[in-house]
Amino acid sequence: MKIIAISGMRGSGKTTLIRELIARSVAAGQTCALIVNEDGEASYDTDFLQRHGVAAEFLRGG
Amino acid sequence: MGCSLAARLVALQKELKRKHNPDFLFIEPSEMVVTQELRDVMAMGRRDITYEIGPLITLVNGPKFDSQWQNRSFLMIGQMKDADLVLLSRSDLMDACGIHALEQKLMDYVRSLLPLSVPCNRGVKEVVMAVLG
Repeated sequence: MKIIAISGMRGSGKTTLIRELIARSVAAGQTCALIVNEDGEASYDTDFLQRHGVAAEFLRGG
Repeated sequence: MGCSLAARLVALQKELKRKHNPDFLFIEPSEMVVTQELRDVMAMGRRDITYEIGPLITLVNGPKFDSQWQNRSFLMIGQMKDADLVLLSRSDLMDACGIHALEQKLMDYVRSLLPLSVPCNRGVKEVVMAVLG
């Protein structure tokens, strides 16, 4: 397992980039998981996570 | 990052490794976390299980840089200076002069600043290479 962190201020595009990397990884036959420590759940809709087989955990507080 | 949050993050890393053992675990931290702190917390789980760390990537919002820098420059420096890769996001909304000016402004803090635009597929290939190999 390789852990990759994508940091930045709110609105910097973290979720967009992670979604793109997950989509490309899964397309290449690799598996992904996700930990989100922000109010970003809305951007990781259940359909996206299920479709890509992503195990996701959400942390509150920071 | 507080102690309880750091402990929870490490616990989740270990749980996901044990239950799913994915090829990649992506972490989207709070905007308040600086990179070295995150790297230190991420490494704590290695006492119990094995995994690879990195790259740690920091995104800088190009079009909103000036307003964010005005209020939170210390935080942004903390996110940029220890990152493996710093990306200038939403770069499709900037012109070449604006990108060059930002590169000059940040040259004391980052080794390189890669323009990124996911919708325009700019810089994505380079990030994929860095992350996925």
